[in-house]
Amino acid sequence: MEALYKNFFRQKKKVDPVIKALEKIPIFEHLSEKELKNIVQLTHERDYKTDEYIFKKHAPAEGMYVILNGKIEIKDPESGSIFASLNSGDFFGELALLDEEPRSASAVCNEPSRLIGFFRSDLLTVIKRYPKLGNKVLLNLSRVLGERLRETNKNIIKSK
Amino acid sequence: MDPLQKIYRILLLIIISFIGWFTLPSFSPLILILIFSFLLTSIFLQPVDYIEGYVQSRVLGVIAVLGLSITIAVLFIGSFLTSLGIQIKTFSNKIQKDNYAIAVENLSAKIKSLLPEFFNNLIPESDKIILIAKNFMVNVFQNVLALLGSAGSLIFIAFMILVFTIILLIEYHDFKRSLVQFIPNKYLEIGLRTIYNIEQQISKYLRGQILAASSVAILSIIGLFILNKIGANITLVIFIGIIAGLANLIPMVGPFIGMIPAILIAIMNNIGNESALSHYIFNIVPSPFFIFDIILMFIIVQQIDNNFITPLVVGESVGLHPMVVMIVLIIGGTLIGPLGMLFAIPATGVLKVLFREIIFISKNSHLL
Repeated sequence: MEALYKNFFRQKKKVDPVIKALEKIPIFEHLSEKELKNIVQLTHERDYKTDEYIFKKHAPAEGMYVILNGKIEIKDPESGSIFASLNSGDFFGELALLDEEPRSASAVCNEPSRLIGFFRSDLLTVIKRYPKLGNKVLLNLSRVLGERLRETNKNIIKSK
Repeated sequence: MDPLQKIYRILLLIIISFIGWFTLPSFSPLILILIFSFLLTSIFLQPVDYIEGYVQSRVLGVIAVLGLSITIAVLFIGSFLTSLGIQIKTFSNKIQKDNYAIAVENLSAKIKSLLPEFFNNLIPESDKIILIAKNFMVNVFQNVLALLGSAGSLIFIAFMILVFTIILLIEYHDFKRSLVQFIPNKYLEIGLRTIYNIEQQISKYLRGQILAASSVAILSIIGLFILNKIGANITLVIFIGIIAGLANLIPMVGPFIGMIPAILIAIMNNIGNESALSHYIFNIVPSPFFIFDIILMFIIVQQIDNNFITPLVVGESVGLHPMVVMIVLIIGGTLIGPLGMLFAIPATGVLKVLFREIIFISKNSHLL
């Protein structure tokens, strides 16, 4: 009976939690629901255990991660210094979408976490399959990197 | 590793290889269908992705690309078969005429006069030549009949390839995503990188090959038109060009296969024609039925292709050593025949990328 009801009457739209998480990320800002769905089709959802490494310092870098839930620490394993503690909704590793340099720090889970991975090959697929959407993502990515550069400049000036 | 464990592993590997070797023939049609579908998917994936970007529907993209390709293929095969039918009919009419025997006798005498004396014993008498020619024609017709007999299974295989290609093209990205789910977290990024590199390698290779084959086809057609201008009387020029282009996909052996239809048609059309029989290339070298003109033309086309076009469009796409190319061609040819020769190079290209990635992973394994 329930199946029949579901088939004949329109259901309340359930928003995908992945879409919900992605639309808050500056790189996927100002995208329509359809465009976000196209992006979600290419992303990879992964589960990590406590103390499991997402990537290690100097490892080949391929892309960025968005935290759906859990806690991640970005740290330097050699000096032991912690650069950032990230929570649900945060993202990291976005620089790897553009260059092929190795990772500059390690990312490790502090508790069981669920992450969304979006990699360089996925970005290239977006550019190829949906050129307009690809341009939007690239523009957003450039904006994020530009802001970072401006902040770094300010910090350098301050430290002088 | 424990030496006993090592021995067990080697034994297991040998047993699996043996089972694989013996069961392979029963799976070969399925493997063939999968390989063909995968190759066609690789060829059509980019145009489908491109159209999907504009029409916002993948199914429409697949219908547009496959519909256009199938229409072109059907039109080509249809007109090729019609023209071939006309050619065979004309030739069989020619055979039935009385002067055919005289023409063959003249040909035999001409060849004998051109060759050194010790070769003469090797050339059969004219009546034997006629018998050989007749047997040859009977064989050709028998082969055509055998081919028609197996048309049923061919149509089934072609249909299955089409169905698999449609499914793969529509579901390609989802299919890839579900495969990626099986990669452990540790190897996720490197796994994606490997898949992407293999995809790129295959599509780059296929695009390069299609461009090189098209250029060989166009150059051969131009060459054959030029030969016709000097009186070679070669028909089915466009089809011969396309066959030469397709044959060019098989490295090393292909160019020679491409020459054969041109030479056969030149002989079929010019038999009994005295001026064609006593034709001299550059007025120096005897070239009965323009055979050496055709060979020279194809060699020139090959040289243009090898030295100018292929380096430009294919580049270092696969970058295999000529020795490796020959070895894999022989292996492919022995295992599956001409199709094996066709697929040997892209398959080795994939293995090469895999090998390169395995080395990359093993070098960076301490970082993962």
